Amino acid sequence: MGWLIDLLPLNYSDAVVAIGAALLGIAAGALGVFAVLRQRSLVGDALAHAALPGVCVAFLATGAKDATTLLVGAALAGLVGALLMVGIERTSRVRPDAAIGVVLSSFFSLGIVLLTHIASTNDANQAGLDTYLFGQAAGLLERDLDVMAVLAVVALAVVALAFRPLKTTLFDPAFAGAVGLPVRLLEIFMTMLLVVAVVIGLRTVGAILMVAMLVVPAVAARQLCNRLSLLIPLAALIGAAVGVAGALIAARAEVPTGPVIVLVGFAVVLATVLLAPGRGVLWRGRKLARDRRRALVEGVLVDLETTIHAGPPPTPRELALASGRPRRQVARALSALDRAGMLARDGERIHLTESGAAAAHAVLERRDLWSAWLEHGWKLRLPDAREPDPTDLRASLGDDCADELRRLALAGDGGGAAGDAGQGAR
Amino acid sequence: MSAHQDGGPPTAGRGAGDRAPALEIRRMTVSYGARPVLWDVDASFPAGRLSAIVGPNGAGKSTLLKAALGLIPADAGQTLVEGRPVGAARDRVAYVPQRDAVDWDFPITVREVVEMGRYAPTGWFRRVPRRDAALVDDCLERVGMGDFRGRQIGQLSGGQRQRVFIARALAQQAPLLLMDEPFSGVDARTEASILELLAALRDEGRSIVVVHHDLGTVRGAFDHALLLNVRAVAEGPVAEVVTRETLARAYGAGADAVGRDAGEALSWAG
Amino acid sequence: MSDDLTIILTAGLVATAAGLLGPFLVLRRVALMSDAVSHAVLPGIVAVYLLFETRAPLPVIVGAAVFAVVCVIGIDLLRSTRLVASDAAIALVFPALFALGVLGVTEFASGAHLDLDATIYGEIAFAPFDVWAFGSVEVARSIVLLGAVVLANATLVALLWKELKATTFDPEFSRTIGISPTLLSRLLLIAVAVTAVTAFESVGAILVVTMLIVPAAAAYLLCDRLLAMIAVTLGIGWLSAVLGHTVALRADASIAGSMGLVAACCFVLALVLSPKYGLLARALQRRRRRREVRAALAEAHAAR
Ligand SMILES: Nc1ncnc2c1ncn2[C@@H]1O[C@H](COP(=O)(O)OP(=O)(O)O)[C@@H](O)[C@H]1O
Ligand SMILES: [Mg+2]
Repeated sequence: MGWLIDLLPLNYSDAVVAIGAALLGIAAGALGVFAVLRQRSLVGDALAHAALPGVCVAFLATGAKDATTLLVGAALAGLVGALLMVGIERTSRVRPDAAIGVVLSSFFSLGIVLLTHIASTNDANQAGLDTYLFGQAAGLLERDLDVMAVLAVVALAVVALAFRPLKTTLFDPAFAGAVGLPVRLLEIFMTMLLVVAVVIGLRTVGAILMVAMLVVPAVAARQLCNRLSLLIPLAALIGAAVGVAGALIAARAEVPTGPVIVLVGFAVVLATVLLAPGRGVLWRGRKLARDRRRALVEGVLVDLETTIHAGPPPTPRELALASGRPRRQVARALSALDRAGMLARDGERIHLTESGAAAAHAVLERRDLWSAWLEHGWKLRLPDAREPDPTDLRASLGDDCADELRRLALAGDGGGAAGDAGQGAR
Repeated sequence: MSAHQDGGPPTAGRGAGDRAPALEIRRMTVSYGARPVLWDVDASFPAGRLSAIVGPNGAGKSTLLKAALGLIPADAGQTLVEGRPVGAARDRVAYVPQRDAVDWDFPITVREVVEMGRYAPTGWFRRVPRRDAALVDDCLERVGMGDFRGRQIGQLSGGQRQRVFIARALAQQAPLLLMDEPFSGVDARTEASILELLAALRDEGRSIVVVHHDLGTVRGAFDHALLLNVRAVAEGPVAEVVTRETLARAYGAGADAVGRDAGEALSWAG
Repeated sequence: MSDDLTIILTAGLVATAAGLLGPFLVLRRVALMSDAVSHAVLPGIVAVYLLFETRAPLPVIVGAAVFAVVCVIGIDLLRSTRLVASDAAIALVFPALFALGVLGVTEFASGAHLDLDATIYGEIAFAPFDVWAFGSVEVARSIVLLGAVVLANATLVALLWKELKATTFDPEFSRTIGISPTLLSRLLLIAVAVTAVTAFESVGAILVVTMLIVPAAAAYLLCDRLLAMIAVTLGIGWLSAVLGHTVALRADASIAGSMGLVAACCFVLALVLSPKYGLLARALQRRRRRREVRAALAEAHAAR
């Protein structure tokens, strides 16, 4: 790791922390996907708390306080907690959330009891055990980085190797069982992967913040992509980016690293949830507004066409009255039509230009096509699984089907209503 | 069991009668807790035929399929696929589960779902060979989903989702297809086109067993039926199984209505 | 009042306040909200200290309650986008709030007696030392505060019994009969927040979280009716308080930890021994059932 530390334009200890945060982000990001997709996001919480009794027992058993011993203790306790969680869920009517909660509180209670026991027998030596859970990124050593790197690489390699069984089991356990996958074993295996991630992270960011490190990258990445095979690397990337960004900001501002990483992560999630293309809240809101607006403009256009068809060109007020829409909405739609060059004004009164009339007819044709679909659609043979989109039937069904539909509609109306099809639909 | 399966199949000529039954279930008994869900069920679904498992809600239809595949433990019973124990014939069966437990927001595309059908045949850790990729595309085309391969599974309609799962089963290239309620939550058009597809697959020589509860389509489209209500009420060619008397036995008092106008739509949608 | 009695009574009141709400959390599958809320209040405590330079219980409880509500509503909002599942929403919101609190502690309040240990392990052993005098009677502060919370929770549950039951059992149906599941869920979680915050301040977070989840989960294995479940939850809670205290004295161990362990033991016992849902009962039943089935099948086949 030395070369990497030298490579970064940071002082030594900041570089160590940044690299550590990146490694943690990669491992937790990739493995957290499995927790989030199984809707067990808080498993990390329980596993992190389960580490406390493990750390205590390791200390009691060996009397040593070196990092490796405590790490092994934490990992073993995490494994036991993970197995218990899966076991409780499997064998009883207790649901996942309560199973996680029971393991969390039981193990943590045990941890506290053990801590007090250690405090009363081993006096001064115990200081530091209880802070294990709170994490101290600043205390990272270069040696820790090697451990973290190895664990992260192993975790990623295992995920890559077992990708297909894991994906199949996650998505469709019934199918996975039917093709002969050991579904339960894989479930336990996934939880064990999480134990690895938690153990890696515990000392860097602490128990609570580890929860965020597992969940943030997966949730953010999920907003940005639709495939598990991309989601996992993307989550790892986001995890690393969040880790490094948090570490750098914390170093600049001289505040603790863990909380800053978590807050950066939360900001990233918020940003993706709001802005993700095709999915984000703002994106959907804008699309909804656009669709509403389009429906309004098209509606007013058709109303105008009908009114003109029936009598003299209306004033905006008359148009609003005839169409039964609020006057403000009609005015808004009219100005949009005006900007598109579809209106010709004659004093107060409004005409349609040529392009306006054409647009109105296009809208009417679309509506006719939709009512033709509702009436005759069942006779139509669709070549594949395409399904009609009411806003644009022609595009969604294809020209052939749309033409066929028109023919059916004309035949159904006895051919007589060909010219008036538009009026008839209204 | 009342009638048996060797009532001459309508489209004989492939010698379907000589083949071992595609799926044979012997003395299957399953209980959840103290409650019997299946009791001593014998069934034998002929090879190269389109068979239906029919029965009221809670009759144990899904349980029968799951127990037959060994997905849930049975108190007693045995399953043979083409005459061999099911454990040794996993690659001969493709199963389309009921879809109520699927997480539709799962990050997976239509094509990936279908590709899953090839994982077991090619080996879980090997890359999918090119001819398998072509096969996956063919299966998608076959169910009419070719244009949707890049979509995330949740962006499809109910009927389209069902087509994807059928395509996955096709990709497994298994001679026996088991489907659990493939028509629930599916529009009429999709139902018709899936039925057509199933008939075509049958004519290619595959054996298909469908859990279903619309008696109207069973009479029109299926060759063979098992009428189930905890016990096997009747089994055999559809015309012999779906009768006023057997329906009354399977559906109990509620079947009077069915019995009265059995000639008309025997539809039990629900 | 003797110190031991005060401690037991404090723990018992925590068990009661938590036991009135815990069953609803477990049945609604949001048991972990309790853990989330008890961590999310940290910035509230820090903010009160920064703004008013006080650690007096009432301002702290108010400050913490504000952030508990922020946490609950934040989780609800995130969940309502439908882009984030509810467990993930919990796992996103409370660490962020907790992180804010940690930053506040280390950055602004360092030096003050507001370290993490104190907020995480708010210690029940100190409960008897904080007393409020009412005239000539001195009562432990924790008992007064927790007593009030118990009363509030009991009133809430009694008044909204039908509504809570309906929305827990079938939210869609209750919407059609004019009960808003969202409103009820928020009310419940705010009650959880206030309970957690108050208890947190006198007994520490882990005991509150334990009392909110473990007895209710054990009761869920033992009963099928809501009222019975609440009764059993309260029973297990008090048992844990009394027995846990005894164990702690004997073994010279953490009181909150021992109480938590006793509750955990109750859960394990229920898991194994529950007459209806226990591992043992079901294993026996399965064996008996299998034997009966074999016999009946053999008979049927012999008769054929
Ligand atoms: N996992 C289970 N635990 C307990 N009972 C079950 C379980 N699955 C199904 N059952 C019960 O077994 C019966 C048969 O179920 P199922 O096979 O799904 O019926 P069907 O598919 O014919 O509607 C039902 O009464 C159902 O309530
Ligand atoms: Mg079923």
